[in-house]
Amino acid sequence: MASPIRVLTAVPICDGHDSAINTINLEFIRHGVEVVYLGYHRYAEDIVRAAIQEDVRAVGISSYNGGHVEFFAEVVKQLRKRGADDIAVFGGGGGTITHDDQRVMQKRGVDKIFFAGTSLTDMVGFVHERYGKAHKHNGRNGAPADMKLARKLTAIEDGYADGTKKQRNSKAAIRSQRSKIRNTKVIGFTGPGGAGKTTLIDELVLRLLQRDAKSRIAILSHDPSVVGAGALLGDRATMINSQHDRVFMRSMATRGQAGGLSPATADCLQLLAQSGFDYVIIETVGTGQEAMPFQSKLVDQTVLVMNPDYGARLQLQKIVMLDLADIIVVNKSDQDRARTAMSEIGRRVEQNGREQRVLATVAKRHRDGGVDQLCDLLTPLVRPMAKTSKKGQPK
Amino acid sequence: MSKLGSVVEAVDKYNKFVEDEVRRARTDKKFGQQMVNRWNEIKAKIPFGSAPTGLKLPRLALPEIDEAGDITRYLLGDGLPGEFPFLNGAYREMYLEPLQNPAIEIGAYEKNGHNGKSQNNGSKNGAKNSAKAQQAEEPTRLFSGLMLAEDTNERFHFLGAHQRSKRLSTAFDGPTLYGIDSDAPGILGKIGEGGVAVDTVEDMVRLYDGFDLGSPDFSASMTISGPAPIIMAMYIAAAKRRFGNDIVPKLRGTIQADIFKEVQAQNETIFPVEASLRFLTDMMEFTTREMPRWYPVSISGYHIGEAGSTPVQQAAYTLSNGFAYAEMMAARGIPVDEFGPRLSFFLDCGLDVEYIALTRVSRRIWAIGMRDAFGAGHKAQMFKVHTQTSGRSLVAAEFKNNLTRTAAELMLSYMNGTNSCHSNSADEPFTTPSEEWIRLAAHGQAILLDESGIFKHTMNMLSGSPGMKAVERAVEAAILEEFRQIEELGGVVAAIEHRYQRSQIQNAAHRYEQQIYDGTRPIIALNKYRNANEEPPEMELARTPKAKKQLQVDRLKQFKKKNAAKAEKVLEKLAAVAESDKNCFPTLLEAAEVCSLGQISACLQEVVGRFRPMV
Repeated sequence: MASPIRVLTAVPICDGHDSAINTINLEFIRHGVEVVYLGYHRYAEDIVRAAIQEDVRAVGISSYNGGHVEFFAEVVKQLRKRGADDIAVFGGGGGTITHDDQRVMQKRGVDKIFFAGTSLTDMVGFVHERYGKAHKHNGRNGAPADMKLARKLTAIEDGYADGTKKQRNSKAAIRSQRSKIRNTKVIGFTGPGGAGKTTLIDELVLRLLQRDAKSRIAILSHDPSVVGAGALLGDRATMINSQHDRVFMRSMATRGQAGGLSPATADCLQLLAQSGFDYVIIETVGTGQEAMPFQSKLVDQTVLVMNPDYGARLQLQKIVMLDLADIIVVNKSDQDRARTAMSEIGRRVEQNGREQRVLATVAKRHRDGGVDQLCDLLTPLVRPMAKTSKKGQPK
Repeated sequence: MSKLGSVVEAVDKYNKFVEDEVRRARTDKKFGQQMVNRWNEIKAKIPFGSAPTGLKLPRLALPEIDEAGDITRYLLGDGLPGEFPFLNGAYREMYLEPLQNPAIEIGAYEKNGHNGKSQNNGSKNGAKNSAKAQQAEEPTRLFSGLMLAEDTNERFHFLGAHQRSKRLSTAFDGPTLYGIDSDAPGILGKIGEGGVAVDTVEDMVRLYDGFDLGSPDFSASMTISGPAPIIMAMYIAAAKRRFGNDIVPKLRGTIQADIFKEVQAQNETIFPVEASLRFLTDMMEFTTREMPRWYPVSISGYHIGEAGSTPVQQAAYTLSNGFAYAEMMAARGIPVDEFGPRLSFFLDCGLDVEYIALTRVSRRIWAIGMRDAFGAGHKAQMFKVHTQTSGRSLVAAEFKNNLTRTAAELMLSYMNGTNSCHSNSADEPFTTPSEEWIRLAAHGQAILLDESGIFKHTMNMLSGSPGMKAVERAVEAAILEEFRQIEELGGVVAAIEHRYQRSQIQNAAHRYEQQIYDGTRPIIALNKYRNANEEPPEMELARTPKAKKQLQVDRLKQFKKKNAAKAEKVLEKLAAVAESDKNCFPTLLEAAEVCSLGQISACLQEVVGRFRPMV
């Protein structure tokens, strides 16, 4: 089976009208499309960066606040400038985009404008028909590194989708790669849905970027596929610090695999770990008690993010990751139950008899001390001097 | 239990109280007789006026009831217009045309036109004694904003040319709504689109040029929430530049400043919720004390409705947001009777059947909640509301039908006793309204209120009718049910963190679209009676020419250059105050003199962080 179509949707800068795009996103994912949703109030630059990294077939922009002629054209222009002229741009804005505007926009390279009254079915049909085929080239000579890397990731995902690739379990094969990538630190984040993993990662990224003006970070983020169909990959929408030229982010759908990751995750992770990043952060989907997603030896450190309201203390006995995680973060620790949660979890991990850290954070709070602490734990205090100089653009 | 829980209890309790009193009136002969006597006195005092045809009509219509229980249910359950629980109106006479012969006017009847006037003791007394008392303000308040400040100023003068009172309502462009300067990279295309570009106090001076900001007949409304405290500071700074420091207590108007609905629906938030609420309360504390004629927050359901909520969700979230603001102000130690009268509301009016009574019911719930859960007095019990017809209900296909839609919505708005109203222009599916269509929109209101006799002669036209009552009962029960859900999640703020309101609104929006596409919700000329051969209409579009955008950028750069040294100093001070727990607003006033909007928001974001979008 071929990979699902991936599109990126967004609302332009200074525009918060997300009602239409939310409805369209839902309709797309119900009809087999994987939607990377970037959210509202987004710069053209952020849309283009995300479209290239996510290697989508097309970018859909929903604009209701004017300035669409300039904005759509700017997105097309920047895509072309960065060698991604095969990523199409389509969109709409109810009645605000007139037929005259459409003509100008198409002249400037916009693929399609939907007018008011277009049915959702027609839009879904258009996307399937027009963007059904994969990109022809895998990044031209001279294409930016981000784009080459993105297309390699797509090739891995496609390999699993059409069955030409099977999941490897050879630990030896993976271990043999480790020597090449020891300067890259791979950190795995997991935990139940709604614990605040994405926010925590975004806050961590802010600190990593600030601490080292050269460091580059990759994020591999997972969201569940709707049964047998598309997926809403929405983590980018809530991230404000990770829209950055030194951050490469890829959103993956689980495509039918249980356990919090995608069949292609291990290979993709390995590729990222070899691509010259200082940190590779991997985020699972929201997981259940029995999940132990990070079996790959590629992950150097694992962080379990929890809500303070996990229920009765007995529940803690059933959470497998409490045995495996290196760091347990109790996020939303401004909630009433957080103090109890900290001591219950502390006692629970004491049983394990190994060195595990338990931290309290409030990721939504600006400059939260708990997140600072987490960042300290994840970054070695003294870094080899030579290290940063080796880093550069990913190969 | 949050205050919302107490509100639900209060309404349940009040409804039970009304029924108990009804029973008492039927069983306790003395009490029953008292109620009947009161009813007869009220009826006897009702003045009569006459229609242009000569027909005599009472200025207040009452149901034809004479049984003590029914009378009790009407007086306590609904209340006369201007009386608790205000189901029939916040004020006694609303849109009635002045009596021709003041001599027959009954003293007990206040002539409060509507919103604002009765709040101003000075002008109220003046109004009572002068012949001008006859001329209440028009409730028409048209929303406008386009291109640069001078262009919007011109539009304001155009709109207000024929009105006694100048009630301006200002729409800002995207960059302003997000606290971004016009010279920021990547936003040139957005300058002056969808509203007016305001970067500095100088723009604010241009925006209201030629209007007497301190006049009792002037009021300014500013539709902005995320950076509202900064824009408010700029408005005050501009007023001081033009009229001196003494102008401040005279300033009259409202600023939207509703952070809750931004997070729930409109997405124009720039600081994290907690910080936004803190800056908002800082501002409200200042205006409540220093600007007695200012409404510092317009608690808005409009954008919730436009984002696709059901009418009941709109009213429920708006009211619960209102109670949450009241709780915040009370927590700052400001007495409810000081801040309560300064809260005002803004609702959407569409074509769903709920809109027949949505505002009426909202007024009642607000009054009971404020009185019984917050201990508010008369003025703080009143739900004063601005209504705008639904933009969402307008469609591009055969767009002239939008005139009919808006007319029907206007009719509903006035039937609900709105205190002021904006009617949308038929061309809004395409553009910021052009002068041709905005004029028709304004005339729509005048035709209803001035030309037709529907609202001029008699208050309470439909009050007590069986259909109205049926809708009122159903809507009230549904709103209370929504309150209970929010309360279960821990109150308004906790529910927001659960994305409760957002996901409810999104689900409703999706259902609405589905209904359009499957035809169960007929939209004429769109999914019913569609004209397959319709040509796209020729539209006059309000677009900002590139030269104007550049002019705005150049002016801003000059302003920044001129004030660079002073700006740096005051921003440093602002950051320090923001870092402390002191009220920021006085320092914002200083900053507004020499800093741009973008400079101030960036400075504050440095301290408190940026808003993290919710999906």
